[in-house]
Amino acid sequence: MTVIILAVILLALMLYVDVQRGLKLFISLGMNFGVLIVVFYLIALGLNAIVCSLVGCFAVSCVMLFFVNGENIKTVSSLKSIAVVLVILSVLIFSVTYVSRIAGFGWESYEEINMFSYDVKTDFTDIAVSLILISLIGATVDSSIAISSALYEVHRNNRELSVKELFASGMNIGRDILCTTANTLMFAFLGDFMTLLIWFCKCGYSFGEIVNAKNFAAEMIRILFSAAGCVIVIPVTAFITARALKKHSCTDSAQPPQE
Amino acid sequence: MKKTVLIILILLSAAALIFVYNDEALYSQQIMKITDITTENEDISRSPLGLEEEHYTRRITGTVLNGEHKGEQKQVLYEETFSSVVTDRFRVGDKVFVDGSDLQLKRDFYLALVVCILVVLLYIVGSYKGLLSAASVTVNSVVFYIGLYLYINGTDLLLVCVAEMIVFSVLSLTIAGGLNKKTLSAVISVMISTFVMLGLLLAVVKTTDYKGINFNELSFLTVPAEDIILPELLIGSVGAVMDVAITIASAISELISKNADISEQELKKSAKEIGKDIMGTMSNVVFFTYLCAGLPVFVLAIRNGFLLRNYIASSFSLELCRFLAGSIGIVMTVPVSTFVSIRIMKKRKRGAVQ
Repeated sequence: MTVIILAVILLALMLYVDVQRGLKLFISLGMNFGVLIVVFYLIALGLNAIVCSLVGCFAVSCVMLFFVNGENIKTVSSLKSIAVVLVILSVLIFSVTYVSRIAGFGWESYEEINMFSYDVKTDFTDIAVSLILISLIGATVDSSIAISSALYEVHRNNRELSVKELFASGMNIGRDILCTTANTLMFAFLGDFMTLLIWFCKCGYSFGEIVNAKNFAAEMIRILFSAAGCVIVIPVTAFITARALKKHSCTDSAQPPQE
Repeated sequence: MKKTVLIILILLSAAALIFVYNDEALYSQQIMKITDITTENEDISRSPLGLEEEHYTRRITGTVLNGEHKGEQKQVLYEETFSSVVTDRFRVGDKVFVDGSDLQLKRDFYLALVVCILVVLLYIVGSYKGLLSAASVTVNSVVFYIGLYLYINGTDLLLVCVAEMIVFSVLSLTIAGGLNKKTLSAVISVMISTFVMLGLLLAVVKTTDYKGINFNELSFLTVPAEDIILPELLIGSVGAVMDVAITIASAISELISKNADISEQELKKSAKEIGKDIMGTMSNVVFFTYLCAGLPVFVLAIRNGFLLRNYIASSFSLELCRFLAGSIGIVMTVPVSTFVSIRIMKKRKRGAVQ
């Protein structure tokens, strides 16, 4: 009930800002929710969690890029960049999750999960990795599309720029969005684990105990990797988009561009 | 110049990491370094659903690294399972806290490692702006911690969060943009939007009385769920709201500085164009951060034989609600900040060129 009222308010606001875009956005959020549930369910059925989440991330990026922004040179370059970033990061995330043993639940959550049997025959290390991967996709797509669209405008207004110059201006744009993205992410996560922090304070944990607690470490690593995704995607998108734009404008007159 | 700073940064990180790796003396709990692990017993248990789970009993031997018993050998029997839902898989070389027969990995080094990697990455990609964003996040965390401290000492949580929100927006927007009209209009827009959002939520919540929301999913509760959900929403969305507000304020200030005679109508139109682009991306950021947090419990529940349909109805409602409320705040900021920025910057713009 509450959910429906809130959803209606959100839809009304989105339509107020822009009818067409608002409607598309609202539908895309619904589609993303659907993708998310399917991915969650497949993971729960016992399929390889990391593969499932990578495929899910890809699907979700396609929704955000192609459904909302349309298929064009900007979104195709963004998608390529996101794929590259996901591959780089999944290796890193897996190593960190593996060594820091943040899989599963810390003892603070036992109350929440004690009604379940723990014998589920699913390696929770993979689950922890997919959790981090899915968390970071929203922010990463956001950074990537911001850069590729801005770069496209730069290229359109100044066709003489070389790949190197385009890359440099892409990096400049990226720097400007870093600060705000970092804050957005940080607060979203703070809102998410405020109850945990209050728990730590109420139970009188020392700084050392907080830092080493599994729940805290897992949450922190999730934030840090989301931020890392936004950072790494900047040079990757700048590079791929700059090259694509240049190639596009070279072949423009000769033949229709591929892809 | 950039190279020198980078080298200094890497050296500092390395020093910090070496320090954190060897900081056992700072802890009062006993820490040991695992030197040997042998398997005492292997067992397969069958869950009610017929899943076969391996259980291992490991004899873990290690050298104590701190306290009175420093240097002594110690042996602990540890139960391990294949799924690692509540246990961990230790390896030789790990440093662990020992508390009776319970072992906890010493994770501070890994946290420090990821922080250092991120800071170096931020500098490589963002130069000084990257470091600035790291600084701004750090300042905000300190403010957040102070707020938490006040709350623990008896101040009302919602009040603390509203105060924090004001401090956050003033601090981060000033760090990012300096002291000027742009920042002022962004700060005012943030406040108006969050207050309207809060009022709206209170109204919705009061009329529906949280019908259909299941609070069981909110873990680590030490206070009534109703008291914590609004503050959480507020803090969770303030970052995105700030982001939208500053983007629109900058754009309007840019437009006015390029053409002081620009009409209000034109400004509104441009702000709308920008607004419709950012509202989508921002709500996506919040969407994934919130909704995927429930993955581990979801897997546990489904593997325990819960039905998908029942589980979604009962457990995603709260996360969905949080996401929807946050997005309402974000989308509302678009018209609010357009209105506020035009009011503040358009008025005295004549003659006063930036």
